[in-house]
Amino acid sequence: MATKKRMILPKSYSWQFFPCALRTSLRVIVILFCLVHAADSLPAAWADESSNFAAKRMQMVDEQLKDRGITDLKVLRAMSTVPRHLFVPAYLKQQAYTDGPLPIGHGQTISQPYIVAYMTEILHIQPQHRLLEIGTGSGYQASVLAELSDQVYTMEIIPELADSAGRRLKETGCSSVTVRQGDGYHGWPEAAPFDGIMVTAAAEFIPPPLLQQLKEGGRMIIPVGSPFYVQHLMLVEKTQGKISTRSLMPVRFVPFRRSQ
Amino acid sequence: MKRDPAPPLQLHLALILLSAALIAFQLEQMQLLAIVQWHHFAYLIISVALLGFGAAGTLIAICRTSLLRQVEWLLPVLMFACAISMAMALPLSQEMTSRFDICLLFIEPGQAALLLLSQGIYLLVFFLGALPLGLVFIGLSSRINSLYCANLVGSGIGGLSAVALMYVLLPQQLPALTALLPWAAGILVISRPRRRSLLALAALTLTLIAAVLSHPPHLQPSQYKDISRTMDLPGSNITASQPSPYGLIELVTAPALRYAPGLSLTYVEEVPTVSAAVFNNGDWFGAVDSGEASFLHATISALPYAMGKRDRVLVLQAGTGTDIIQALKNETEGVMAVEPHQKATTIMAGLYGTTDENLLHHPLVQRSSLTPRTWLALHRERYDLITLPTVGSFGGASGLFALQEQYLLTKEAFLELWNHLSPDGMLRVSAWLDSPTRNSLRLAATIAETLEEADVDARRHVAAVRNWNMITFILKRSPLNNSDIEQVRSFCKRLQFDPALLPELQGPERIRYHVPADPRFFNNLDSLFSPSHRQKLYENYAFNLHPVSDNHPFFSQFLHWHSIPHLMQLFGERTLPFLELGYLIVLISFTQITLAAVLLILLPLLRLGLPGRTGLKRWTIPFFSGLGLGYMFFEIMLIHELVLFFGHPIFAAAAGISGLLVFSGLGSLFSGRLRPHRSNHGLAAALVALLLLLYFFILPPLLQMAITLPPLWKTLFFFLLIAPPATAMGIPFPLGLEHLANHSKSQAAWAWGINGCISVVSTGLATIIAVEFGFSAVMLMACAAYGVAALSTTRQFFPT
Repeated sequence: MATKKRMILPKSYSWQFFPCALRTSLRVIVILFCLVHAADSLPAAWADESSNFAAKRMQMVDEQLKDRGITDLKVLRAMSTVPRHLFVPAYLKQQAYTDGPLPIGHGQTISQPYIVAYMTEILHIQPQHRLLEIGTGSGYQASVLAELSDQVYTMEIIPELADSAGRRLKETGCSSVTVRQGDGYHGWPEAAPFDGIMVTAAAEFIPPPLLQQLKEGGRMIIPVGSPFYVQHLMLVEKTQGKISTRSLMPVRFVPFRRSQ
Repeated sequence: MKRDPAPPLQLHLALILLSAALIAFQLEQMQLLAIVQWHHFAYLIISVALLGFGAAGTLIAICRTSLLRQVEWLLPVLMFACAISMAMALPLSQEMTSRFDICLLFIEPGQAALLLLSQGIYLLVFFLGALPLGLVFIGLSSRINSLYCANLVGSGIGGLSAVALMYVLLPQQLPALTALLPWAAGILVISRPRRRSLLALAALTLTLIAAVLSHPPHLQPSQYKDISRTMDLPGSNITASQPSPYGLIELVTAPALRYAPGLSLTYVEEVPTVSAAVFNNGDWFGAVDSGEASFLHATISALPYAMGKRDRVLVLQAGTGTDIIQALKNETEGVMAVEPHQKATTIMAGLYGTTDENLLHHPLVQRSSLTPRTWLALHRERYDLITLPTVGSFGGASGLFALQEQYLLTKEAFLELWNHLSPDGMLRVSAWLDSPTRNSLRLAATIAETLEEADVDARRHVAAVRNWNMITFILKRSPLNNSDIEQVRSFCKRLQFDPALLPELQGPERIRYHVPADPRFFNNLDSLFSPSHRQKLYENYAFNLHPVSDNHPFFSQFLHWHSIPHLMQLFGERTLPFLELGYLIVLISFTQITLAAVLLILLPLLRLGLPGRTGLKRWTIPFFSGLGLGYMFFEIMLIHELVLFFGHPIFAAAAGISGLLVFSGLGSLFSGRLRPHRSNHGLAAALVALLLLLYFFILPPLLQMAITLPPLWKTLFFFLLIAPPATAMGIPFPLGLEHLANHSKSQAAWAWGINGCISVVSTGLATIIAVEFGFSAVMLMACAAYGVAALSTTRQFFPT
């Protein structure tokens, strides 16, 4: 009779009649089930996410880089390897491979993929080259450079950015990059001379120590513009002690005619 | 129709206080938002916020009877609510929309929502302030003249007192202080019914205002403002702040701050750190050197000194004084430094001390705080060297300053500068090189056209030198001789600069050290100095390179409408906004506000019925729109004319707005003597149209004539000059409103709403017209708007 009575009780009431031990066991079972299920599904989700980003990255390389004239295979390989989505703020992860710069805080941006590739290509990097980057920012550019050379030195003056970039580079397994927090004006005299210098935090003047630390025949690249629009890239070359510059446009500006 | 009983004095006082508060709050917000974002953002917010007036008119039109039935207690409640929203607007917007950034509007999803939210906060303030004004006007429409007079006089006082307070209080302290005015207005209109509850509400409001006053919110500037980026440097500190109507001046020290624009790549010495950097509203103003700027001889700006000794130097817009130091280091006999931002000069005094050797007290340096153009108009002395500040900014400012009026870079200014040069004197002006090239080419065009007007062969008088990011032009009053040319060449060789313009210059010499991005740069530069090629370049270049004039002083505005598809194709839609963000924001704001204004006009129209069907007066829309447009267009044009006359935009705005409002208030008072009849307010509008047409011709020359008067006489002269049109402009609106109210009070409310909405739309429209066609077109449109208002009352055009 008792069983019958319990059977006609609403479910919520019936729960109260479960013995305590049974309830606890059920909870454990549910929790274990969830854990097992989660453990089972998480790597799958990660794998999905990872392959999704990899696909976006390949699309970025094809549509944004190759189509715009980036031809250096080493640079294209580097751009298709470095997980850009791990260098942008979490809330912008889905936009990581779009064709534009993204904010990373402190008034700084992670450059447009094309600009990163173009600047890297211009440096003509060889594996034995020693490279210096002034303005680590998110660490993405340094990570791309590290795909091409084993000696990458990067400096960032804003302590918070230097810390987070250092951590991010470590997490992504980028061991060949040395990060230092400090004033880029002085460069990195202990590691000088450099075959290539990239001044991503450009100032109104080129610090004389950086010119001195540039190796004979070395190249320095400086993007000039505002955070969301690189106007032009300044290539500085040192040949027989003489410094010369060449301004390069990331977008080819063709003259406009009204008839067009 | 029977007239309403005469409103009590308290009501007039309350209207004066409330109107003063609304105008003061508007000016304060403009400054505050210029500090945390940029002045365009302020413009966007304020123009939307003013829609509150239109929205209030709409509500009154729809719910007039029920609102007026409860007006006795509603008036104080609304005034207290306005006071609360005024005090809380800044803390709320800083708290709720602190992540909003105008630079991210086109990048981050969700920024548009934050923008709307912050607009909503300001809209509420103006809506709550406009509602009691509207209720009083409509409720006592037969006494509109004295009430409207109180409104205008209050607004005038509000404008002047806000400017005065900006000298002594920090911007974040001002809104809560201003909130005391609507609170006091509320106290004045508390009447018998519900007296206790209203007094309790008044006490609560005062407590809230006091709380905000004692803890003013901390301002959080955009992370992309210059000051934020400097404050991110380790060890940086704001060591002094000075409020002023020109902007909030802040002095920042940081151990890693260095500033050496135009430095030669051959310079191998240490570039010293600067003592401090000065920021105005968070934007870079200049670096403070304590006289150690040893590198100045190796910068591109040293060109005139490399060509010989300059005995008398005039430094215009001297800023933090780098050009003065350069002149003193080159053994000049005297420097005249003109810098209108006085607080920026005084804030540096602490760093320099008071010895004779320092910059501020140097015996060879004379100072003036007039604007450069006013100074030039007042003085006839001639100089061996005149220096202008560098045009543009390094890396560009994403076109944020596209709508900044730059009177020192107009053709008229260059002609004036040319006439201030001694027989062998030189004018030096540098520009940051941008891509696509705009600044340097427009500067070259201005120089070429100015010299042509002065009947001089520009090619024999102009030289230009370039490094990797800057170009420096010099204009010599006498033709460049062989020795000059040789000195330019040797300067370039020594410091590895390239000559860009020089008589008989060879192609390869121009790119010996620095190759420009645009291979056509030199062709374009040469074309500008040849009249036939110049026109062709103007027509074919993707950007507008025409020199600017005093009538159209937007030097940094280059975007051609017809080039947009071409540029979009080249740069992509994500980059295009950053080519000229400033103008784009105004266009977005104008579109947004026009849509809102149409909604606010159409909404009550649907309830009141379409014109002609329910007795709605056909002339209402053209008449009140015409008055709104005409008044605002004239006000904007007047302020523009006064900038040169008074020497600073803030004084121009304060004198222009206050003069216009106070005299219009008197006009409104006078209109009480006239019979509210269609022909009368039509005639009044026609009189204004004629007066404005007359002033279109006589105002600029009369102001020019009086520019040399002492400040007090100048102000008196201006008030006498403006009195006739301003008084006349105060007549048609109250007369028309009274006439309409005699027919239907709800239509009067509607008309008031139309006038408010159109006034708001017209601020954006006037800016666009000024950019596209110049300020004189704005003035003509003002005449036309009053003309349309006058015609709308004639039976031929709009029969009853």
